Amino acid sequence: MPGRCQNMEQARSQRQVNSRTGFAIEGSRATCVGNWQAQELHDVEKLMSQVKWPADAVEFDLGGITSLDTVGAWLLFRTIREIDDGNRQLSVLNVNEQHQKLLDLVEDRSESIRKPPKPYVPGVLESIGRHTSSQFLQYFEFLNFIGKLAIVFSKLFLRPWRLRWGLVVKELQSAGVNALPIVGLLAFLIGIVIAYQGGIVLRDYGANIYVADIVGLSMVRELAPLITAIIVAGRTGSAYTAQIGTMMVTEEVDALRSIGVAPLEILVLPKLVALVIALPLLTVFADAMGLFGGMIMASSMLDLNSSTFINRLTEAMTMNSYLSGIGKAPVFAAIIAVVGCFQGFRVYGSAESVGRQTTISVVESIFLVIIVDAAFSVAFSKLGI
Amino acid sequence: MAEHILQAHDLVMKFGRKCVLDRISMQLERGEILAIVGGSGSGKSTLMRQLALLQTPTSGSIELFGERVLEMSEFRTLPLRRRMGVMFQNGALFGDLTVLENISMPLREHTSISLETIEQIAMLKLALAGLEPEAAALFPSQLSGGMRKRAAVARGIAMDPEILFLDEPGSGLDPVSADAMDDLVLHLKRTLGLTVVLVTHDMDSLWRVADRIVLLADTRIAAEGTLQEVLESGHAAAHKFFHGRRGRVVGATYDQ
Repeated sequence: MPGRCQNMEQARSQRQVNSRTGFAIEGSRATCVGNWQAQELHDVEKLMSQVKWPADAVEFDLGGITSLDTVGAWLLFRTIREIDDGNRQLSVLNVNEQHQKLLDLVEDRSESIRKPPKPYVPGVLESIGRHTSSQFLQYFEFLNFIGKLAIVFSKLFLRPWRLRWGLVVKELQSAGVNALPIVGLLAFLIGIVIAYQGGIVLRDYGANIYVADIVGLSMVRELAPLITAIIVAGRTGSAYTAQIGTMMVTEEVDALRSIGVAPLEILVLPKLVALVIALPLLTVFADAMGLFGGMIMASSMLDLNSSTFINRLTEAMTMNSYLSGIGKAPVFAAIIAVVGCFQGFRVYGSAESVGRQTTISVVESIFLVIIVDAAFSVAFSKLGI
Repeated sequence: MAEHILQAHDLVMKFGRKCVLDRISMQLERGEILAIVGGSGSGKSTLMRQLALLQTPTSGSIELFGERVLEMSEFRTLPLRRRMGVMFQNGALFGDLTVLENISMPLREHTSISLETIEQIAMLKLALAGLEPEAAALFPSQLSGGMRKRAAVARGIAMDPEILFLDEPGSGLDPVSADAMDDLVLHLKRTLGLTVVLVTHDMDSLWRVADRIVLLADTRIAAEGTLQEVLESGHAAAHKFFHGRRGRVVGATYDQ
């Protein structure tokens, strides 16, 4: 067909969107050339919507298309459908078998190609309402969880040998012993910082010796329990949520239920008991490391030798202040363990949910620890401890 | 002579001292449906992951579209990866995107056609994969197992790949859905001219869709060829695999 070849030549030389892919209109003939695949078609798409189509007839010549994919076929089909106003004569020429298959394919499915349904997005008011109700639900669930836990716990008092002591020891190892280095280091650094900040003021007044009071009281009463609880919440609380959450996703928790073992008894109780034992001990360690840090700083910055520091410390500190610090630790431990496990059980569906609940668990337990700490401070001040 | 679009030579895979694949050599011809079969733990998924460039073998070479890919940098293989689609066993759909966004994603990343057209193409692929238009707005967590696999296929064919890898397309589906999945594979091969590699141990699928079968046993290729050839190969593993009680029942049905 010499005529067709001539047309092709003209089309090639006349204009092309780029060197390989495009189409050109000459008279009533639209000549398509090149590689009509998704990556190459952006210019063709633009041109097709902008070009002025001949009013009486359009012949699409596909002879120059080297490869066609569904995107190309859809663009062609869509254009033909759009310009088909009843007056134009439309035809497609030089279609090979493979291209025809694709054109038939998009035509067959064109019914289902419509504006995709939009996912439902709730309005502001609805979002607030949903959030509020879900928060309330969560509080009730939390109370429910604590109630169940209390029942399991009270049963434990009747039969203490039922507790899985092996698991408790394992948890003590991972939540307690393994946390010693990081708790110690951070408490030590906090001790240094407190001594330094207090020392600046005290030096001006020549009251260097009182740095022991500042470091001693603030570390032992407040900072050591709080810092330890925060580290443990981040380190251990998150691990509890992740562990139980993963078991929820893999249906291991359901497997426990099906075997007839209460998940609370085997998953929560050992963790709770272990953490209530471990956190006060960690706090004692943090006390010691914090005081040690303060002592180092006092001797290097304020020339206060260690025996003077320790003598002053024994005068400044009372048993009450020591116990008020240590006494908070089991409460913090219970909060961290209960919140961590509760959020673990709230994991639902996919692995993505494990990450989300772990974040919530850490934020919530740190939040609650600080609130409870503040409540303790108020209570102690009223009681005059 | 058909064109070999994928060739593997002497693939070896070792995990520690355990050898999973031992000197596997095979070819994939354009337009065929190749099934990789074998018992659990026979390394068939590992082999598919290597062919799909998702895992690097301990040694051996892979020639994909005429290029030796194992010597290439990850970056340079990207254009080749675009010419392949993979359906993972559990779909591996992105959880925070809707089905439509999942399918649109490859088109958005690799082309600069308008969003409207991309969405239309995504709806087309959705329909091709046999899903209702309503499914477009759903999130993967709202889909049933069968729908998730179909959505995953739709994402796999979003860019009109030349090779489609399917990891256990029928597993976890009821017989009717599994049948529909087989129909889908045949339909895609016919309409888009796809070359398909599928990993399966579903006898029905083998009878219905596979043009050629590679049977893995004891880290080697035990038998290769059409189902008939594999059955007649007389290899012990083939006998065990196909003439077990399950295999025989299906075979008898089809012989009638």
